[in-house]
Amino acid sequence: MITQEELATTNINMRYDLSPMKNIIGDLSGLLGNFSDELIGAFYPKNVSKKANIVITELVNNAVVNSPESDSKISLEIMINKDLLRIRVASAAKRSQYRKVRDHINMINSTGDLRKLLAETIRERRKDRLRGGLGLIRLAAENKFTLSARYRAPYLLIDSQIGLGGLS
Amino acid sequence: MKVLAFGEIMDGGISVFSSVAKVDADLLIISFGGSIRIDNPYRYLEQYLSELEQLLPKEKIDRIEFDFKELDFCNSNGFYIIMDITEMIINTIAGPIAVKRLKGDDWQQETLPILLNVDEPEIEARTTFEEFADI
Repeated sequence: MITQEELATTNINMRYDLSPMKNIIGDLSGLLGNFSDELIGAFYPKNVSKKANIVITELVNNAVVNSPESDSKISLEIMINKDLLRIRVASAAKRSQYRKVRDHINMINSTGDLRKLLAETIRERRKDRLRGGLGLIRLAAENKFTLSARYRAPYLLIDSQIGLGGLS
Repeated sequence: MKVLAFGEIMDGGISVFSSVAKVDADLLIISFGGSIRIDNPYRYLEQYLSELEQLLPKEKIDRIEFDFKELDFCNSNGFYIIMDITEMIINTIAGPIAVKRLKGDDWQQETLPILLNVDEPEIEARTTFEEFADI
């Protein structure tokens, strides 16, 4: 009989491409997040599949809300093996949007105390009930993902990954 | 035990999140269940919050229990309403606070203490966390 430890060595690769963006009217991030949670959770511990759910939800939602090109596509790639969980989301963006995301990620990556950053950001944004602005900080501070951004015109690619040593 | 108030988020005609406030002798139990994924949960839970604000001072409550075990997911927009509910209760009732949460859930482990403002020494001193395994 296969053990939990053996199951958590399963290689899974998924990719979704959806277009045009203007046709996305439902809760796409929830659908993709929940499905991936279920699928990954069939092989890996729940704490790992939940991480995937959070990242997919935040990144896909950001892409859907912020993409200026209604005829463009959104791509989601999920890769997990015994060592690594990597989630990549690509969506059309202006170069100025890329620079803003890149600077935000650089700020996150250079912060020594991520918990403090998350706490201060939550309290600051709560005053004005501001939407957004927490997602990427949350992925780094709460879920311990390493983030990076690239621009391949006209697409903004956001990578998030976490080593699974000790988690699964 | 009596139910004091009930709040719910409906999405597409389905209940996706609920919170129930119950009183058992001197204990107030606030349970959270389901998922918060929508953009503006405050719109759905404003009345629940308002009812709690009116009803709690009339009750003789000495202890608080927040139960997050059944809360599967909370997006960033959900943070504020969780803060609104818990902050109002913590400010109204001066007694000890027990928090039931999942051991393997990142947001309940890392972010929930921030939302409960456990960094405040006065709140930290009366808060205890009880850890539960994810089912």
